[in-house]
Amino acid sequence: MPEIGRLAVCLALLFAAYSVVTSILGGVRRRPDFVRSGEHAAFAVAGLVVVAAAILLRALLQHDFTLEYVAAYSSSSLPTQYTVAALWGGQKGSLLFWAFMLSLFTAIVQIQNRDRNRALMPYVTATLMTIAFFFLALLTFVTDPFERLPVAAREGADLNPLLQNYWMMLHPPSLYTGYVSASVPFAFGIAALASGRLGDQWIRSVRRWALFSWSFLTLGNLLGARWAYEVLGWGGYWAWDPVENAAFMPWLVSTAYLHSVMIQEKKDMLRVWNLVLVLLTFALTIFGTFLTRSGVISSVHSFTQSGLGPFFIGFLLFVLVVSGGLLVYRLPDLRTPATIESFFSREAAFLFNNLILVGIAFAVFWGTVFPVLSEWVRGVKITVGPPFFNRVNAPLGLVLLFFTGVGPVIAWRRASPRNLRRAFTGPVLTALAAAVALGVAGVPPGYAYLTFVLGCFALGTVGQEFWRGVRARQAMLHESAPRALSRLVGKNRRRYGGYVIHVGVVSAFVAIAASTAFRIEVTQPLKRGEEMQVGKFRLRYERITTAEDAHLSRLAAEVSVWRDGRQIATLAPEKRFYKKPQQPTTEVAMRSTLTEDLYVVLGSYDRDSDLATIQAFVNPLVSWLWLGGIFMACGTIITMWPAAAERRATAFALGGARVPAE
Amino acid sequence: MKVGAALVLVALLLGAPGIAAATATQQELEESLTCQCGCGLTVHSCNHLQCQSGEPMKKEIADRLAAGEDKEKILAAFRGRYGEKILSAPTFHGFNWFAWLTPFAALLLGALGLTRVLHRWTHETPAPVPPVATPVDSALRSRLERELAELDREP
Repeated sequence: MPEIGRLAVCLALLFAAYSVVTSILGGVRRRPDFVRSGEHAAFAVAGLVVVAAAILLRALLQHDFTLEYVAAYSSSSLPTQYTVAALWGGQKGSLLFWAFMLSLFTAIVQIQNRDRNRALMPYVTATLMTIAFFFLALLTFVTDPFERLPVAAREGADLNPLLQNYWMMLHPPSLYTGYVSASVPFAFGIAALASGRLGDQWIRSVRRWALFSWSFLTLGNLLGARWAYEVLGWGGYWAWDPVENAAFMPWLVSTAYLHSVMIQEKKDMLRVWNLVLVLLTFALTIFGTFLTRSGVISSVHSFTQSGLGPFFIGFLLFVLVVSGGLLVYRLPDLRTPATIESFFSREAAFLFNNLILVGIAFAVFWGTVFPVLSEWVRGVKITVGPPFFNRVNAPLGLVLLFFTGVGPVIAWRRASPRNLRRAFTGPVLTALAAAVALGVAGVPPGYAYLTFVLGCFALGTVGQEFWRGVRARQAMLHESAPRALSRLVGKNRRRYGGYVIHVGVVSAFVAIAASTAFRIEVTQPLKRGEEMQVGKFRLRYERITTAEDAHLSRLAAEVSVWRDGRQIATLAPEKRFYKKPQQPTTEVAMRSTLTEDLYVVLGSYDRDSDLATIQAFVNPLVSWLWLGGIFMACGTIITMWPAAAERRATAFALGGARVPAE
Repeated sequence: MKVGAALVLVALLLGAPGIAAATATQQELEESLTCQCGCGLTVHSCNHLQCQSGEPMKKEIADRLAAGEDKEKILAAFRGRYGEKILSAPTFHGFNWFAWLTPFAALLLGALGLTRVLHRWTHETPAPVPPVATPVDSALRSRLERELAELDREP
């Protein structure tokens, strides 16, 4: 069976190469038969890669330890859900998973564009299949997931215990989905450049793909943060690790694109800038993969390191040279007359928002690569860690939060003094009231204080927009408030979905500021029955319990939590010891509420003295980060939900497509 | 002058290094040092079970603080032993200034460039074209009024 998997990958590689060549020939020579043939080959690639992925998954589930990959990343006692996760838990499997998703997305793009964008499609197919070719070539010639061991292993080495967590079931696929789907806007951008069709048609065609990619990058980052929070046990959720940075950078640039593209749609401006952002987002996804695989910069994600770095850096250079070359070649045709009328306009606000987003992305990039630069220039290894990123990005984040408030309400073209008064009086008063209330509540001045005030300003603008919209509908159409709200959102999903996303962003900002500035942390060795105070909580170490099964052994400390003389919870932080990789892990115990998380870790335990070192954190408002993620997901769904007319058109098109077949 | 003011602002934003030296706490020092166990976290954040690197460093920091040493001296001791990579952020000296200033310099350049471009665009904007007084055929006008009136009558 694995030989069939290998054959499928090899054939997929050949079909991808064929698809690239015929698609380009079809586009250049205007041969629709070539173009269709290239598309059919892309479908064949999808089918073959699905077969290959299914065979590897089957080998994992059947514990076929004759395969090197299965023996290295699973074991017979690994729970089934983590055995499935082992498909992307190792380098070879994750590359196959990448190719699998890319080929599926390519097939979806082909189906979506059967009868439209025909001038762009040859180059879209060629671009997507070039990317697929790269990954399939790695799987064929460099890192074969179906490699057999000379002698079958009796038992597998097991999946890295850090990956044996339910968030790990979701985090990598989400991030891969975000990364891989960024290929689609990139492919359309390249197609626009190659075909010379530089208007906004390609932009409109990939609007949903760009949002889809952004939403999964958001989700992937947040799920990764949640995983780190629960599994690594150091009390935080973001450590500015190079690989975290690698996932954050394309998110920032993609966010900038989603804003600036509105200017192109409205005013046919910024064609070059939008292309740059699309190309950069894709290049950063490849750069991120390079960072993860190369080990050039030390990272907590070192379990994925391999010798693939040079291949990825080569491919990245190829992408930059080709896309940069095409961009320069088309530059004269991309220039359009600019018609921004005033600094006080939504266009200008979006441009400054873009500057900050790309500026933060650059700061993160710079901090990530600076250790390498320092070693080259000075021959001295240095570390660029959280203190650097926090200091540099905190002020930039505040400016971004300010523009999050300004963007939605400032007028397009030119904001008159009357418009500015009307748009900002409410939000500014809200922010001032918040500033006074926070001062009275004793919140010290600093970044957190400013974040809360600017967050209130941004929420004020969003709230005002909803309020005014609902009031206007109620006044004109005499609708009830809930009906007016649903109609308001339904009639302009993109706008109001965007506002809901902004609420999520503000929520995340507030969570990050509060949990960074006001975290309480106490570490104390306790004997049985002894207590420690953490903020307003009193913790009592009650006893140690142990448990063991074939897969792992557990050591759990039972800790009762008291507040105001009343027991409110019992927590059981654990140390686990996985038997096959012989590795200890930390299992955090948490009491999570909207206002704070009580986060308890069993630091160490001395059996002889029955002394348990308990590390406890009170992390304020961390739940708001996950809540922000839910808001962002809801906002994205609202934004992407097709309007009634679109749904009718799709149904009609599908119905029409079925007729000849029947 | 503007650039000088911007650099002063950047220095303020970066939090005036050295100010906290006299009042450094155990946590502050632990956060200024990188654990050498390979976790990539600061000494303060590393919670590897009985970490061979982080735990002795935490104890040494506590001992040195108890002995009355200040932040600079304690950090210098660790740096002397492990090299510059032990520090969790670049120092504010020599080549390392590039690490701190480049992001702000890039942003400043971007802001200046964007301001210039916007200034040019806002001044190049063609004057709005005055509406051309198109003679409207009286028959067309009466038809338009009739249709609008019919539209108003619709439920």
